[in-house]
Amino acid sequence: MRLQSKLAIRCAKLTSMLIKKLNRGSGVTLPGYVARLIDPQILSVMSGMVREKTIVTMGTNGKTTTNSILYHVLKAEGKTVIINRTGANMLNGIISAFVLATDRKGRLHADYACIEVDEIASVRVLPQLKPDCALLTNISRDQLDRFGEVDITYNKIKTAVLSVPETKLILNCDDILSYSLTQDCQNSYVTYGISEQIFDDISRSEIRESIFCRSCGKKLSYDFFHYGQLGIYHCPNCGLKRPEPDYTAENIVLHDTARPSAKPSAGTMEKGQCAAASADYAAQVSLSAGRPVLSDRMYSFTLGSMEISSQARSPYNIYNTLSAYAALCALQAPMKKFKQTIESFDYGNNRESVFTINGARVQLHLAKNPIGFQQKISLVLKDPDPKDVIIQINDTYQDGEDISWLWDVDFQYLANANAATITTNGTRRHDMGLRLKYEDISCSSTTDLRKTVEKLTAEGTKNLYVIVNYSGLYRTNHMLTELQAITKGGAAS
Amino acid sequence: MKLTIGHLYPDLLNLYGDRGNIQCFCKRLEWRGIEAEVIPFLSGSRIDFSKLDIVLLGGGSDREQELVCQYMKEIKSDFKNYVEDNGVVLAVCGGYQLLGKYYKTDKKMIEGLEILDIYTEWEPERLIRNIILNSPLFSAPIVGFENHGGRTYIGNHTPLGKVFFGLGNTGKSGYEGVVYKNIIATYLHGPLLPKNPQVCDYLLERALKRKYGEDIKLEKLPDRLEQKANNYIVGRYSDKKYVLKETIKRYT
Repeated sequence: MRLQSKLAIRCAKLTSMLIKKLNRGSGVTLPGYVARLIDPQILSVMSGMVREKTIVTMGTNGKTTTNSILYHVLKAEGKTVIINRTGANMLNGIISAFVLATDRKGRLHADYACIEVDEIASVRVLPQLKPDCALLTNISRDQLDRFGEVDITYNKIKTAVLSVPETKLILNCDDILSYSLTQDCQNSYVTYGISEQIFDDISRSEIRESIFCRSCGKKLSYDFFHYGQLGIYHCPNCGLKRPEPDYTAENIVLHDTARPSAKPSAGTMEKGQCAAASADYAAQVSLSAGRPVLSDRMYSFTLGSMEISSQARSPYNIYNTLSAYAALCALQAPMKKFKQTIESFDYGNNRESVFTINGARVQLHLAKNPIGFQQKISLVLKDPDPKDVIIQINDTYQDGEDISWLWDVDFQYLANANAATITTNGTRRHDMGLRLKYEDISCSSTTDLRKTVEKLTAEGTKNLYVIVNYSGLYRTNHMLTELQAITKGGAAS
Repeated sequence: MKLTIGHLYPDLLNLYGDRGNIQCFCKRLEWRGIEAEVIPFLSGSRIDFSKLDIVLLGGGSDREQELVCQYMKEIKSDFKNYVEDNGVVLAVCGGYQLLGKYYKTDKKMIEGLEILDIYTEWEPERLIRNIILNSPLFSAPIVGFENHGGRTYIGNHTPLGKVFFGLGNTGKSGYEGVVYKNIIATYLHGPLLPKNPQVCDYLLERALKRKYGEDIKLEKLPDRLEQKANNYIVGRYSDKKYVLKETIKRYT
């Protein structure tokens, strides 16, 4: 290895150590920055040391879950795998993941690298990483203030893919935007898609993107929509149509299981824990001391010849599992333990956690764009019990400074959600309040989230949903964990 | 009483929560006991402007605007007559650009409706941030979010307001939007109306007066929450320290 690279790795590690010593945050991006300052080629050097394959996951929704599935499956096959931490999906964060995983001599011992890449960052990351395959979950409306328009996001991804012609693409062919890459790029590709209608009306919403043919500009015809612009489409004018996918999930069934009481006992919650977790990933998961949600209704489906009884309770996660399956098949990666791994996989990550505070069941959910939020509303509606709801909307750069997307979410359904109270919080709590007001749904607002949670768990319905967007996630998770510890799970039997 | 709102090409122009503007029109009519009907005109459908009291032209991506352009030709003269006959129009972002003579993007020339004597030219750096205007039409400031690659040159037209914080029409002129007859055209979304009920009521009153006579007056609504949301943005950007902090963050 070049001296320059060695020095870069050393300094990055030193930076990371300093950050931890000084207790200045998690230190996931600065070490990467330092390494890149010293050796601009560091990422190419590092990815060259991966023994078998490098997989990149991109797309608006489902990146983290899909990447985590890939990681766990490969891990279960006895492979050493490098993964970047949630949110650390820009250039510096990715470099950090690599350099901090090296041994004392700066050597990397990894069979696979599973790397989640932000769409904007992809233009700089992909040419250096030269992945064996790039998995694209979907392209939809997200943080428009950062990306400008969905077409800009598409063009970023296209530019990134054009820079790595050897990389195999794993594409969602139900998404006309993703599938357009096959026309604009020469890369080899495989497709995945779902031909059964599995999303409910509430998830579907009216959010539409790109329902016009990308070849001829005429309006596309849809047999049905999954959600957003995803669905079974064809162009009546030029004949472009959604192809028969190379990989698909079939026989999709949502199983009803006996519904646990609103105040579940601690024992029922442990089942969903992930089996395998490296130190790094464990750190990521342990951020949520809350136990994973045990779903009331879970999906089973068939992938190829495998019948899988998953713990997925949103149809999204079928897509995520299918895309990971397609990528692994395309790479001819070992998959003997795929079924076993998926069946014990906790789709919640730290994005959906359940806490018991003052004897009340408290669920924390992340919703950072209209499609994600729509799914959460659908989830809230599936719970018939009385509930309290807190919605926190912030507008930091990470969240997206433009919060107009709130008006693309069908909040009117919350009127029938059996919600005793709805409280808004966050820097844009009044915007959220207005959104509800214009659906004739009454709510109040708070600047003290902790106090509100304490009050609602003590005096409310004992069934609290807290929905936050990105920047509030860690702080809220931390606060709920603390409250859970203080009240010692309260009166939970 | 009843107002009919025509939402033009929601299948192509539907960016940035435009639904919120429609929702705001409807609810503020409904809360006053006035009937509201929304007619979405999908691209290609025939539009009878004589049946409309308010026209909403929303935002779209550059690619979608190009597609809209071809449908525009069919309605050009009808739309113009509607405007000259004091028809009420709210045009936001892409819709604003389309009211002008042309929008020159990096690749193409998009012909506009030529209703306003303005034109737009694309520049690579997008103007993206929160924005606050002071408008002589209203006592309260107008707040919103802007996100546009186009720079709009408004010639002798009257702007909607003076930029207090943000970038506006060209990023340099210090002004934002256009007011002409009963048109309000602006880059502000967020969406525009819910946090600026004064603008919504202004348009509603104009439409009602046009239809039912000059003595119509809108009754006041309790707008406490609207004011809070509006005040929050104004307060934030009146704080010099905050503005400095945000500027530093933006460039690092």
